[in-house]
Amino acid sequence: MKGPFGVYLCCSFFPWEVSAITASEVLRTGSSEWVDEVLLNGPDNGVCLHLDGAPIARAALRRLVVGKQDALVAAGLREGGCAALNLPPSLAYVANLLAVWRIGAQAVLLDHRLTRYEVDSAADRLGVQVLVGIGGSKGSPLAVFHDVAETITTREGRPAATPHAVLQLSSGSTGPSKGIGRTAADLVAEVERYTRIDGVPLPGERIILLPSMVHVLGLVGGLLYGLHAGVELVPPRRLTGDSILDAVGSGATPATVLGVPFHIGLLNSVADPRRLPQLKRMTTGGELVPATVSAAFDEKYGVPLGNMWGMTELGVIATDLFGEHRPAVRPAPGIEVRESGGELLIRRPESPYVGLSDPARWADGWLHTKDAGVLDPSTGLVTVLGRLDSQVSVGGLKVDLTEVEHTLTELPGVEAAVVLYDKEITAFVQLTGDHAEQSVAVALAERLAGYKRPRTTHFMRALPRTTTGKLVRDRAVLRAAVS
Amino acid sequence: MNDKTAVERADVVAMIASLGDRTVAEIGDQIDSMQLAWVVNQAEQRYGVEIDLTDGQYARMGTVDGAVEVLREAIAAVPR
Repeated sequence: MKGPFGVYLCCSFFPWEVSAITASEVLRTGSSEWVDEVLLNGPDNGVCLHLDGAPIARAALRRLVVGKQDALVAAGLREGGCAALNLPPSLAYVANLLAVWRIGAQAVLLDHRLTRYEVDSAADRLGVQVLVGIGGSKGSPLAVFHDVAETITTREGRPAATPHAVLQLSSGSTGPSKGIGRTAADLVAEVERYTRIDGVPLPGERIILLPSMVHVLGLVGGLLYGLHAGVELVPPRRLTGDSILDAVGSGATPATVLGVPFHIGLLNSVADPRRLPQLKRMTTGGELVPATVSAAFDEKYGVPLGNMWGMTELGVIATDLFGEHRPAVRPAPGIEVRESGGELLIRRPESPYVGLSDPARWADGWLHTKDAGVLDPSTGLVTVLGRLDSQVSVGGLKVDLTEVEHTLTELPGVEAAVVLYDKEITAFVQLTGDHAEQSVAVALAERLAGYKRPRTTHFMRALPRTTTGKLVRDRAVLRAAVS
Repeated sequence: MNDKTAVERADVVAMIASLGDRTVAEIGDQIDSMQLAWVVNQAEQRYGVEIDLTDGQYARMGTVDGAVEVLREAIAAVPR
């Protein structure tokens, strides 16, 4: 199956018929065969995805992946190479991701909402050799799955510098985004972890997929687990409450809605939802669910509202899929959690960070989650209390306010800036001389994705400072200065 | 409730405020993509219609005033 240079060649032979093999066994060879055996294995006619009501069978997905693989190889991607996907959730994204992995290359996942500046910066920094993106429109803001055709660009990059199968970017606390790497073994271990959690969708069932597959919840909890377990992925046609319910009602099998708290809000706002016996559960990650929201969901739908705690660095950490322990969660099988000085730490043998050595984030086999929390030794339950750093969640997407502030401060015409979370991302900006406010807004829009940008920006003649000249970050003082 | 002319600026501001538990006084003029999706969802529930928008209409919904204008057009265009 491999060519003379270790590159997978386009061919019609597949090891699909391998059976009764556990996900971790296939990793012992260190090859990319895990894609075929863990993700693409299964009956030819088994449905993987439902797009706009059209089922996509496993055999069709395999053919599509091979086609993408051909195109990527033709563009110069080789085993050990580095490709970036800058695609919205789409069939093109799924097929290209699996193709990159099947070649044995590293996939850098870049959210399609990132600006050109952010994409180019990340691609330069990570040495991306092949960039898979889309030209033109970024699609409707209400689309959950996009119908796009990709463009492939070959760049002056370098082979992957680390053995990771995937690199994801997390909003950086020290300025630019930081790279988080996960090996194939780590991804497969997470998929296996999902299979051992009580309450996950079962083979033959469906996941109504709402979170972006570029981020860990949608990527592993949705796409990879679904492909591995034989759970059909059904993205709603539109991002509305009615459309989510239409997706649930589009099939006869039990359906789990996977999303973030924003999506609970969409469902809770449906005026008079029809009764759907297929609706088995809703499971959310990303941020804590307010008690009022969970109560409203329970009253309206009467099915369990599950909660998951996880992070880009290692995926799902702990769950409460039956809503029995809210807001506490139970560590997933194989996950070891401890509490140190009010912070929750997770055992992880190697640092996931690429090009970053920071003992405050990973040290001695323990990952610092930067989540404050408590571990109840008598029950083993964990309660996450909130962030210990400047990271916030915007619709389930993590944004580090320091990155926003750093980017804003670097712009021409900005003398100083303070960025806070005050129910929303809020910026207080002092301009140099008579620099125009509008030009700052335009420049920021070129450098930061929309979901990271301040919803409110206050331009001030002078930012409040301490007697030693430091910027004041107290929101009450800043609010008063604005008013 | 299904009056085609019923979309008022105050309605849209109230919809945005209901996302994130803010007061109407705290709502600025800009609308981001998450707020946009929320507003369309809320408007569909309130006016009992599916609101299909073009890319051009979405692009005009970056402000509260733009959203009011587009929702009025879109709801008026729904066959009754």
